[in-house]
Amino acid sequence: MSTHEWDDETPDPVDLDGCPAVAEAELGDVPRSGAIRRYTRDATKQRAGARLGSLLSDVYYSVTVLAIGVAVAAGVVQQVGQSTPTVTRAGGSDLMPTIVGVLIGALAATVVSLAGRLGPVGAGGAEAAWWLGLPVDRKGLLRPTARRLPLAAAGVGALVLALLDGGLLDDTVARAVRAGATGALAAATIVLVMSVAQSLGASRRVGALTGDLMLVVVPVGLGVAAWQGLTPDKLPVPSWPVLAAVALVVVALAWLTDARLGRIRASSLRESGSVAAQAVGAMVSMDSRELGRALSDGAAPAARRWVSRLRTARGPASALVTADLVLLRRSVRHLVQVLLAMAVPVLATVVPELSGQGPVLLAVLIGGYVAASASAEGSRCAEMAPILDRLLPLEPTTARRARMAVPGIVMLVWAGVVFMAVGSWLGDPAGWFVIGMAGVPAWAAAAVRAAYRPAPDWGSSLVSTPFGAVPAGVGAVLARGPDIVVLGLLPTWIALVLGNASQTLGIIQIGTSFIAILVASSTSTKTLSERMLDAQKEAEKQREAAAAGR
Amino acid sequence: MVKSRSVVQAKKLLVGYGGAPVCAPVSFNLPEGRALALVGANGAGKSTVLRAVIGLVDVAGGALTVLGAAPDERSVEFRAKVSSVLDDDAYFPGLTVAEHLYLTARGHGMLGSRELVAELLEEFGLAEHAKSLPTALSSGQRRRLLLAAGFVRPRTLLVLDEPEQRLDLRMREDLADRLNAEKEAGGTVLFATHDPALVRSVADRAVFVADDASPLLMPDEAAERIEAEP
Repeated sequence: MSTHEWDDETPDPVDLDGCPAVAEAELGDVPRSGAIRRYTRDATKQRAGARLGSLLSDVYYSVTVLAIGVAVAAGVVQQVGQSTPTVTRAGGSDLMPTIVGVLIGALAATVVSLAGRLGPVGAGGAEAAWWLGLPVDRKGLLRPTARRLPLAAAGVGALVLALLDGGLLDDTVARAVRAGATGALAAATIVLVMSVAQSLGASRRVGALTGDLMLVVVPVGLGVAAWQGLTPDKLPVPSWPVLAAVALVVVALAWLTDARLGRIRASSLRESGSVAAQAVGAMVSMDSRELGRALSDGAAPAARRWVSRLRTARGPASALVTADLVLLRRSVRHLVQVLLAMAVPVLATVVPELSGQGPVLLAVLIGGYVAASASAEGSRCAEMAPILDRLLPLEPTTARRARMAVPGIVMLVWAGVVFMAVGSWLGDPAGWFVIGMAGVPAWAAAAVRAAYRPAPDWGSSLVSTPFGAVPAGVGAVLARGPDIVVLGLLPTWIALVLGNASQTLGIIQIGTSFIAILVASSTSTKTLSERMLDAQKEAEKQREAAAAGR
Repeated sequence: MVKSRSVVQAKKLLVGYGGAPVCAPVSFNLPEGRALALVGANGAGKSTVLRAVIGLVDVAGGALTVLGAAPDERSVEFRAKVSSVLDDDAYFPGLTVAEHLYLTARGHGMLGSRELVAELLEEFGLAEHAKSLPTALSSGQRRRLLLAAGFVRPRTLLVLDEPEQRLDLRMREDLADRLNAEKEAGGTVLFATHDPALVRSVADRAVFVADDASPLLMPDEAAERIEAEP
């Protein structure tokens, strides 16, 4: 120890009992947490400017939007249920319960993953800074937040299960209601268990990884079971007495969560609150990339075991590609997504009950887009913080083309495997392999175009839709990326519909892939119609200038 | 000679994230009525040590006691006695400057908070902005609001993370006076800083936080080290 140590080596400690050493005013009783919440709410209300009329209008608007959303979803599910031909196994049994089972398993895994990433209990921003330091019972401060997520999960669980049961399985209303109640209770149970785990000190990363693992294991497990012929004839729905017992468990968990709210550490509350605020902001502004960042950044490890020497970086473009490769290699979640996205179309071709042109086309479309998006994390990061793009001496167009390299490599593997499987199923593996390879640049272009899409212009005029008012042009913004998947890969889709990988379609696919690269390399944020209007105005100006000159 | 009692005791304290320490072990005793400065380069680990003291970061090794026990911010008694001003720049959008201070004072059971808040607003140059929303303040004024919130409540230990940031020279001098008054009133101050003047005028000792070793220094030595930094 240093010679500058204060007088005593081991002085007696000042303990926690007794009054604080410094207080500029007399101390009274500490208020209850409810009084703190009320004070904050009332002071905010005084200058909120919202009147009863506008409040009622907001409530009416929300209820109407929710009702329309539910009605549309119910209609779509019913339509899908009616239009989908009965998918049966060789033995004659219906495969739809297995498909619904996969969807329910994926939903449960998503709830686990989201609850893990969001906390589930959090206090972000001002609440963390101004409430958590107060010597009041934190339970009262956190109670509303702690109730919000289980209730939201229960609502979504009830809705999805009731819709799936009533729509796809065509069950009776009574059974659909019971399925809805099962969904609500199951979702609430998951979130409450995660809340208890949070109060016991479980890290958000563990919850997130558990959910991710479930997301892989459940669908793949059920898919393999279906392949082996292990499919249920009907999905079991618990009886009312069983549901009542589960409801008691939910109540007990809610009580336990409430009792342990004060045991959650401020660091955990701050982290969760910050993630939730970022996620809500991303949802309100319809920014899926920001939502992805909000839900994935906090679940990443704080340190790396090894440092990449970036040996393959030999120049600006290769440095960019190397950085993207390192990013992808470090993101286990995205690598798993790629594998899953590869497995789904392959399963669709090898499970006889699913091997129809429609299901295979859908599996290739969705699987391909998921795989391509998963491999474009570098572009998404660059869109938010273009650090490398600015540091390296590269033209923006060249930088975007370089960023297509990693998605291109990933999609080369993906397309090789998937289209060989398609070729084995439809015959002519070589022809399908060529079609698949020809489409690889288009997939990479779509991923990069989607990653670099601009945010919607919230200052533009609003358009009324059944789902509420949205800025004009938001659809065009959200379509950047998917538009290339649809149009740039049109020859592939035609080949899949026809079931014929002709040489002509392969050549056309090479052409459309080339166009897709040109479109995705463009840094213009305007839509095609806006660019046409600009070109028209420019031509008019030139005509006027020429006329004036004459 | 009266034996001074310790408010914070760190013995070979290791702090970090994910089990990886961010600096060399730190050892110090901080008796009541004294001030200790943590100095060192950016990223040296000063803020992480402060966060460990207030219970926001787990201790990765060694021993740390605050007010006679391991720091646990979940304890109401701990929160009642440890006042901290970190770099939080978040405010309730509907609450005025004065209301943020009322919330803190009343939340700690302070009686006569009206007079106290008025005094602090005056002292920190925020009297004219008492009814303003924090969003209308400059970053320096918001920093002053955070500092005022640290003093508007009762405390035994005051923890400040680079309190001089975004303050003008006059306000830095006033802050130094304020911190010296805090010591005279029996309060204990632990602060991280890059300001040699603040170290010289307020600190009784300083810890130079670094990767290889974190020695305990006299204020002048610590100030010289700060001034010698590139």
